[in-house]
Amino acid sequence: MLVMSDLAKTFAKAKLSGLPPETPLYEDDCEREDDSSSASSLSSAGTVRPTSSQRSAPVLNWSDYFAQELYLERQSDKGHAKFHVYLTPPSTPKAPLLVLHHGAGSSGLSFSLFALEIRKLLPNAGVLAVEARDHGSVVWGPGGEVDNDLSIHTLSQDMVDMLHLTRARMSWTEMPTLVLIGHSLGGAVVTDAAKKGMLEDKLIGYAVLDVVEGSAMDALKSMQAYLASRPSGFPTLDAAIDWHIRSRTLRNPRSARASVPSLLVQTPSGSWTWKTDLSSTEAYWKNWFEGMSSKFLSAKGAKLLLLAGTDRLDKELMIGQMQGKFQLLVFPAAGHFLQEDLPDKIAEVVAEFVKRNDRSILVLPPKVGDLLKQGKKV
Amino acid sequence: MSDLDRAIAQLRACRPIPEYQVRELCYKARELLIEEGNVVGVDAPVTICGDIHGQFHDLMELFRVGGDVPDTNYLFMGDFVDRGFYSLESFLLLLCLKVRYPDRITLIRGNHESRQITTVYGFYDECLRKYGSANVWRYCCEVFDYLALGALVIGAATNLEPSDAPFADPTSQASMQTEDQDIEIETLNANGEIMFRFPRNHDASQSSQATSQPSSSPIIDTPSRTGPSGTSATSSANGSRGNDGGAVLCVHGGLSPLIDTIDKIRLLDRKQEVPHEGAMCDLLWSDPDEIDGWGLSPRGAGFLFGADIVKCFNYKNDLSLIARAHQLVMEGFKEMFDSTIVTVWSAPNYCYRCGNVAAILELGEDGSNAGYMRRSNGDVGRRQSSVLTERGRDGPGRRYRVFDAAPQDSRGMPAKKPVADYFL
Repeated sequence: MLVMSDLAKTFAKAKLSGLPPETPLYEDDCEREDDSSSASSLSSAGTVRPTSSQRSAPVLNWSDYFAQELYLERQSDKGHAKFHVYLTPPSTPKAPLLVLHHGAGSSGLSFSLFALEIRKLLPNAGVLAVEARDHGSVVWGPGGEVDNDLSIHTLSQDMVDMLHLTRARMSWTEMPTLVLIGHSLGGAVVTDAAKKGMLEDKLIGYAVLDVVEGSAMDALKSMQAYLASRPSGFPTLDAAIDWHIRSRTLRNPRSARASVPSLLVQTPSGSWTWKTDLSSTEAYWKNWFEGMSSKFLSAKGAKLLLLAGTDRLDKELMIGQMQGKFQLLVFPAAGHFLQEDLPDKIAEVVAEFVKRNDRSILVLPPKVGDLLKQGKKV
Repeated sequence: MSDLDRAIAQLRACRPIPEYQVRELCYKARELLIEEGNVVGVDAPVTICGDIHGQFHDLMELFRVGGDVPDTNYLFMGDFVDRGFYSLESFLLLLCLKVRYPDRITLIRGNHESRQITTVYGFYDECLRKYGSANVWRYCCEVFDYLALGALVIGAATNLEPSDAPFADPTSQASMQTEDQDIEIETLNANGEIMFRFPRNHDASQSSQATSQPSSSPIIDTPSRTGPSGTSATSSANGSRGNDGGAVLCVHGGLSPLIDTIDKIRLLDRKQEVPHEGAMCDLLWSDPDEIDGWGLSPRGAGFLFGADIVKCFNYKNDLSLIARAHQLVMEGFKEMFDSTIVTVWSAPNYCYRCGNVAAILELGEDGSNAGYMRRSNGDVGRRQSSVLTERGRDGPGRRYRVFDAAPQDSRGMPAKKPVADYFL
């Protein structure tokens, strides 16, 4: 027996040594050329230019998906903000504008492929993908210190401000009709803005992608463990894209190439680390999702909830859904980032939602009272 | 004992039947359903039930409270499957009962009786889990395509025979004494005790919870109750006075702007997957709402329709009531628009967490003109009224039985769904 086991051990050792070494989290002797600007840059994907040796899977540029990117400044007694958004303006003043808000740790480019797909279905509609503070936008307090207040109230106000700043920059005489679409934390942000009536009668509806208060609250406990299990950095952008695909965080390589580079910043050593330190945002997690179901159900406007995987509504949403208060669609084949995994399908659903609720084209059958007044037989 | 009776016994024990039996059952059911029109004619007495959603043990509780098949006639308004853990056993049992007692049980289609919806909300996965293949799901979906879209209940009595039952709260008995009045609505709890009793009141603009208003109903002798307890089989004639409660249309969802007469429902080609829009879709998806006219449905399918639409439709089709399901009602049932439409919900504590009670609606039989089948689309005998006044005629007497969720046997339940590992 002893001999056998020794043999087995030797065999196992031999086998192990054959495996490739584990990928180091940081690779100091990164072959990447030194690019001192990107470490400190606000790092839209546009500033990221990988060398040819890393282009096995080419990183895609924002300009493939949006007409322009804007930096919008906000000056107030509370400080200074430099917001970053991607925009494809509506083609006509009557066309709706879809305002897209990403989730925590993500970026406006998470909607890259969706933005392309939706324009195929709604060629006149505009698309505005905003980026939250600490996610591409930067806000400084009065003392010049970076203000990373990520409370839900602040985030929804930032989003609405970005919308108004965009309108001013583009010199639109009137705000277009609006549809808010938020993924994950972004879903909580658009729900908060809708509930507070911040966009008044310009808002025709809002869509929430893959977040439900009940299951988000349940998942809080395991969140830090999940974050700890992610690599803290990557030697190259390709490695980062690879990780997102291999871990099935993202299931669409094309989308991963468009969005992942924007999630990372380069360290002085040349490797890449997360732009947003998610675990440090823990103080806000409860604040983001608490009361979200009730806000979602009671805000004015058409409501669309898109879930990935399974239907996991909490009690409040379950009652609301079975009373017919909102539209629910489940995409069993998608992961959490469903707008990245299934951009064409999500665009299809959103286009239907927009068309259905667009008051300018909506015609309902007449009321009985009106028919009677007209002397018609009913 | 026939194979069918054996299958019924096995399903009543909440045990699935073998695949080959499901296949045979579904084939027989289709042969039966293909003979039914889009709108099935049903004679009162009948007990009308709303959504079940795979809550098998609660379906058993429903039969306990409402009486067993074939002693009680049942009309189920769809949504047999999805969300609950026993969609398969629930639907197959109802289907077995349909094949065994075709005249005693009527099944109409709900929006969940669809391939697309069952793929997402549980029935498909359940079939896969219990049989290892999607065959049974496929057989069931073929049956779904043959289910009728609605039912027309005729011969329901205007007035209820008073239940010979104690009051749940004896102190409320005095205020609800209606010995010398016609009873329009009675609500019973799961023990058969009277919770509320409302007299028919022609002056009241609507039958509300208030019972204080004096009744103008003529005093008539109420015949003694003859139906067995737990059924609505109250077959005595009610004197010489007409006691026809008018026709009741049952659909899962509601009305459609494309349908202004019941005959137009009869003309639809129903043998297909539920479409995303159009009349068939609307009948299964629409909801009544406190609006004027038609509105967009927040569900993304079907429409919202207001009181004017219901009253106009009922007038035009000489209906006294529309019974429908489709919307969760915390109290089990909800009458709207001067009792011209009622929502009946029969899945208590929906999805094992919503905390609601369930209800079924019993319509008694009008014995005064037994054998006479009234046509429900003519003007003959119509009470004088205009399109938008309150209900044009006395509706049927309505007995609601309200019940809670059955104690759950958690064995065999799938483990709680894993929480999302990532949500930010």
